[in-house]
Amino acid sequence: KMAVGELGALERCLGLKEGKYSSKAQGGGQVPVLQINKGPSLAGLATIASYLAKEAKREELLGASIEEKAIVQQWLEYRITRIDRLSSKEDIRSILKDLNSYMEDKVYLAGNTITLADILIYYGLHPLMADLSIQEKETYINVSRWFSHIQHYSGIRQHLPSLIFIKTRIYSNLH
Amino acid sequence: MKLIVSEGNPHGIKVLAAAGLWAGGADIQRLQQEEKVVPFLAQPKLPALQLDNGNFLFIPNAICSYFFLSSGKEQSDLSNQWMEWEAAELQPASIAALYAHVVQGKKREEALQSIQKSLHHLDQSLAKTKSTYLLNGSLSVADVVVWASVYPLYTDLSSLPEDLTHFKNWFTNISQLEECQKAAESIVRGQGASAFKLYLQKSPAPLLPSEKTACN
Repeated sequence: KMAVGELGALERCLGLKEGKYSSKAQGGGQVPVLQINKGPSLAGLATIASYLAKEAKREELLGASIEEKAIVQQWLEYRITRIDRLSSKEDIRSILKDLNSYMEDKVYLAGNTITLADILIYYGLHPLMADLSIQEKETYINVSRWFSHIQHYSGIRQHLPSLIFIKTRIYSNLH
Repeated sequence: MKLIVSEGNPHGIKVLAAAGLWAGGADIQRLQQEEKVVPFLAQPKLPALQLDNGNFLFIPNAICSYFFLSSGKEQSDLSNQWMEWEAAELQPASIAALYAHVVQGKKREEALQSIQKSLHHLDQSLAKTKSTYLLNGSLSVADVVVWASVYPLYTDLSSLPEDLTHFKNWFTNISQLEECQKAAESIVRGQGASAFKLYLQKSPAPLLPSEKTACN
C-alpha cells in the first residue's frame, strides 16, 4: 500500500524504527493504521505522520507558530482530500495551477523552513510530477522549483526516483 | 484577522462555532459564495480566514484548529485522528446525503443511508469513552468539527435517531452550546436543511468515494 510505504520512508527520514502497520477502509479507500506499543492504534496518513514527527522529537516539522501549525494542517488535509482523490487531467491541472500560484513567493509551504506539509505534498505529487513533460514543468515553474528543492533535501526522497528539472527555460515564449 | 463566510454554506457552521468558542474577537464578514477571496485559488472558496500578516487559511478544519490553538489549547493525536476522519469519511458522506435530500429531493431517511455507518462509528466510540465529549474530559475542536459536519442533516433535534443513544446525547449536548447554536442559526436562519439548497445547487454534484470504487 502506497501510504504505508510513504510512512516507512518518513520513519527512515526521521531516524525512527519501523512501525507495525495495517490498513482499514475509510472514505471509500484504504488508510494506514499504526499499532502503538503504549496505547491504541492510530489511523490516517496525516494523523500518523504528525505522531511520527513528535516521536522523533521533531515538533518543528508541525510548524513553529500557531499560524504555521494551522497551515501545515491545512496542506495535510489538502493532500488527503484533494491530491489523493484526483480523478481527471483537469483536476490535476487545477491543483497544480493553485499550488503554482501559492508557491509564487514561497520557498516552503508553511513558514521559512521545511515542514511535514512539504514532505507529504512532495510524496503525494511525485507520481503526477513524474508524468509531466518538460513544457508542463515549466508551466508550473514555482511548483517545479519547490519540488526540485524538496527532493534534494537529505533523506526525504528515499526510494523515489529523482525527477529532472531544467534550470534554464526552453519555452520562454510562453510567458 | 478576518473570517469570511457565505450565506447558506454548511461549512460556515464549524468555523463560526469555533470562532465563537475560542476566538471572541474575530471580525466576521459575510459574502456571496461566488466572491473570490483567497488570491491563490482559481475557484472561489469560502469560508476563508485572512490572518493579520495577509496569509489565508481556506480549509475549514484548519481554520477551526487555528482558533482552538490560539486559545492556548493543544491538539492531541486522537483529535487529529477525528479531524482526519471527518475530512476523509464523514464530510463527503454528509454533503452527499444533504445533496440527495435537498437538491435531488430524495426522502430524508433514504438520503441519510449514506451516513449511517459513520453515525454508528461515532456512537460506538462515544459509548467506549463514556465521556460527554469525543476526547476524554473536555470539549475540543474535534467535537465542533464532527458536530458541524452532521448538523445540517439534523437541524431539527427531534429527528435524531433514537437507537444511537450515545451519539444522540453527544449531538444534543453540543447543539445546545450557546456558541454552536448561534453559529448554526446564523447560517440556517430557521429554514432547516433547505437553507443549504442554493449553495449545494451551485456546487459540483458530490460523488461518494465509495460510489467511485463501486463502478470500477
